[in-house]
Amino acid sequence: MTLLHPAAASAAAEDDAAIPLLSVDRLKAYYRLKLFGIDREVRAVDDVTFAIGRNEIYGLAGESSSGKSTLIKTIAGAIRPPLAVETGSVCFNFSDGTRDIYRLTPRELGEIRWKRLSYIMQGSMSVLNPVRRIRHSFTDFALPHVPEKGAAFAERIGRHLERLHLERSVLDAYPHELSGGMRQRVAIALATVCGPEFIIADEPTTALDVIVQKGVLAMLRGIQRELGSSVLFVTHDMAVHANLTDRLGIMYAGRLVEEGRTRDLFRQPLHPYTRHLISSLPQIGDDTPKKGLEGSPPNLAAPLSGCRFHPRCPLAIDICRREAPPMVAVAPGRRVACHVVTASPDAVAPAMEEVRP
Amino acid sequence: MKPNLLDVDNVSKTFAGRGLFSRRMKRAVRNVSFSLDADRPEVFTIIGESGSGKSTLASMILNTARPTGGSIRFEGRDLAHIRSRRDRVAFMSRVQAIFQNPFDAFNPLKPVDRYLYTAAEVFSGCRTKEARETRVDDALHKVGLSLAEVSGRFPHEMSGGQLQRIAIARALVSSPSLIVADEPVSMIDASLRMTVINLFRMLRDDLGVSIIYITHDLATAYYISDRLIIMQTGEVVEAGDARQVLAAPRHPYSIRLREAVLSVDGAWRGTGLDAEAIQPSLR
Amino acid sequence: MNTLKVLRDLFYYNKEFATGLLLVLIVVAVAASSFFSPYPPLDVYVVPPDLPPSWQHPFGTTSRGQDVFWQLTFAIRNTLLFGIVVAVISRVISLCVGLVSGYRGGWVDRVLMSLNDTFVVIPLFPILVLFYFIMRDQMTWGLLALIVALLGWAYDARLIRSIAMSLRTREFTRQAVFSGMGTGRIVWQEHLPFVLPIVFSTTLNNINWSIGIEVTLSVLGFTDINTPTIGGMIYWANQHTALVSGIWWWVAFPIALVVLLFIGLFLLAISMNEYIDPRSRLSRLGGQA
Repeated sequence: MTLLHPAAASAAAEDDAAIPLLSVDRLKAYYRLKLFGIDREVRAVDDVTFAIGRNEIYGLAGESSSGKSTLIKTIAGAIRPPLAVETGSVCFNFSDGTRDIYRLTPRELGEIRWKRLSYIMQGSMSVLNPVRRIRHSFTDFALPHVPEKGAAFAERIGRHLERLHLERSVLDAYPHELSGGMRQRVAIALATVCGPEFIIADEPTTALDVIVQKGVLAMLRGIQRELGSSVLFVTHDMAVHANLTDRLGIMYAGRLVEEGRTRDLFRQPLHPYTRHLISSLPQIGDDTPKKGLEGSPPNLAAPLSGCRFHPRCPLAIDICRREAPPMVAVAPGRRVACHVVTASPDAVAPAMEEVRP
Repeated sequence: MKPNLLDVDNVSKTFAGRGLFSRRMKRAVRNVSFSLDADRPEVFTIIGESGSGKSTLASMILNTARPTGGSIRFEGRDLAHIRSRRDRVAFMSRVQAIFQNPFDAFNPLKPVDRYLYTAAEVFSGCRTKEARETRVDDALHKVGLSLAEVSGRFPHEMSGGQLQRIAIARALVSSPSLIVADEPVSMIDASLRMTVINLFRMLRDDLGVSIIYITHDLATAYYISDRLIIMQTGEVVEAGDARQVLAAPRHPYSIRLREAVLSVDGAWRGTGLDAEAIQPSLR
Repeated sequence: MNTLKVLRDLFYYNKEFATGLLLVLIVVAVAASSFFSPYPPLDVYVVPPDLPPSWQHPFGTTSRGQDVFWQLTFAIRNTLLFGIVVAVISRVISLCVGLVSGYRGGWVDRVLMSLNDTFVVIPLFPILVLFYFIMRDQMTWGLLALIVALLGWAYDARLIRSIAMSLRTREFTRQAVFSGMGTGRIVWQEHLPFVLPIVFSTTLNNINWSIGIEVTLSVLGFTDINTPTIGGMIYWANQHTALVSGIWWWVAFPIALVVLLFIGLFLLAISMNEYIDPRSRLSRLGGQA
């Protein structure tokens, strides 16, 4: 397997795992708008710290205005005004050295893109040029980053497609000739052909039909396991997270509110918001009444004092209105930002039971 | 004998294929039939993926598109006979619609309440401002809002959940007996989604409104439907009691659809993504 | 967000807008000063003829014994007014046709658009000259404005129609239909606000275009030469072979002023275009950031 990244093989065995592949440290990214009578500051990412290890799928869950899209834009180093990083750092520990995304020159950033860091987006049409055959998209993106040229390059792409159970004939198709699911598979093939160490997947299956979605997710997981890459997978769909991700971070109003192994998080959610997300998820065969969350979603342009969830929180106490809860490790690999939970984790479950109908 | 609330009788819709040389016809809906009982309000769900014809069927029921075959009767009256503006207004006051994207369903440059006032004026004949306000306030109270909260507000000041509740209130102003909701929660955040879904249940139980709920999401369909049909490329492949069909689908397509639903419980049982070999077909 | 604030920010942040506004204001000031003119516009030989620019007559005097500056104030006022009248009339037509055609679609659209296309392909200039020869002395300033307006709406009606067509597919239009609104209400209350910024920018361009037409026709003498306009001034200057006899100021100042107006309106139009686009992006951002 020539395509297998050298880092993947070594990562499991060596102590590389101690240093996470991605470390995001106290990151703040704000939109500042001052134009045509609009004057506002939107705190889309507000003090987020987390890390992603090698060979894992890290899920990021959040609703609209949770800041998750801004967070991944910032991690990818793809920000443009009015969005700007206020403080904090985004560090990748690639196999050939550590890099701080915001200390790189545009050229250095261009070198790691696609080769070490690649993306899969919701609309694959933004990567696939609509007027050129798929083959050209591969040439444009991958050719500068792999040692093979000419026939060897074509062979590498062909073998990569086969590995993903795609026929080589897709190379001669135009994007519009393919179905939505097929385009998304091609986008995944394109993102993984250079064997990147880190893949950012931004709602790649949200626009797809259910039957197609499952296949695309399985394919993504398959290639991730094979390459040993890390994936940051963003979606609002909790059922997808449950089935795909290894670890999960929940965002609310620009902040990370809970993080842990996906299974643990679903089995025993700690943060009241996470609890609600999971308990209100309708499922076939589940006849318990579900309730929506009271109150309105957060307004990032006018952030509240204290915990940003407090107006909608059934557990809110006095301190929640005054002080923002810090992210605290309550168990190994488990962090939560909630005053009530960190004070007495045991008291939470019964209190939530009362709230649930 | 009292006529059914709605009879969809062998309805088809064919679009002429676009293009200079191709005369291919696209059959979006083929021979669909079902009826809703006037005395037994229910949530009737149409399940289908993109291209299944479910939205075309919805617009035919809403009389914004004409069937090319078969007929649709509302309270015994064929929709094809609705021609004048007066007939259309009378029809719309009995059959209302709720749309998919609440952020697009209100003019961003206008306050949201104007739709409610217009509906009160046109459908309920409220001549005075007071009469309209009372009518609108009543409708908003049914969805857990009040005129004071909504008055003069613009769409961007509200959440998707709130907007969709206002849209439901707007549909309720004329006291309809049937509401067609096309993917009403697919654009709404998960934490607010169930509030809207529960409202449909309330409409059925407390107000006696029948609902045609169009969705691709089997989980919410299971949660609120009484009966459902599953559509594939314009045809109904399976129909029946919602719980029975979803618990044990029979048609191969329904089975595939049912199996593709990712569930949280399924994830732990290992019936999730690793279970199958994935062979995509080039479409 | 109010209009004044928008204009203020445009003025501060957009150089084209500031320059354009300044130029247009200069021209408007010149036009406004016609109300203080010491000489009636149609009187001739009120000052000594053929004087070059001086302190007493800043723009000089004409061979007909008129002060060029004060003559120019009347001329630019009439020309500007002509442009505005044409723009307003043709905007009303293009709005009606474009919005209704785009919203209703079907046979209404086909009828209105075939009418529209007819006006697009009509050769403008021969028609105007033809009208002049038919009407002769009845060819007043107002009638010419009406004719030019009738010939100048078609392109923009198509533009407005294309916007209306995309608005028709938006969900809020369906919401309006199911709220019981008729075509009139949907078109004028729901859709009109969306096309107004573009109408505004096309208005500026249309003023430019119609002034160009008017000047061209006047220079050739195909208009009512007794109403002082920029074209009319150049016409009279040509009649007196001003350039040959070295009376350059009779031609240069009217041309300079109308060029200022052209550039000013053009800059305003492009800065408006720039504003129309990012504003929608920004307000969308503010809606669900």
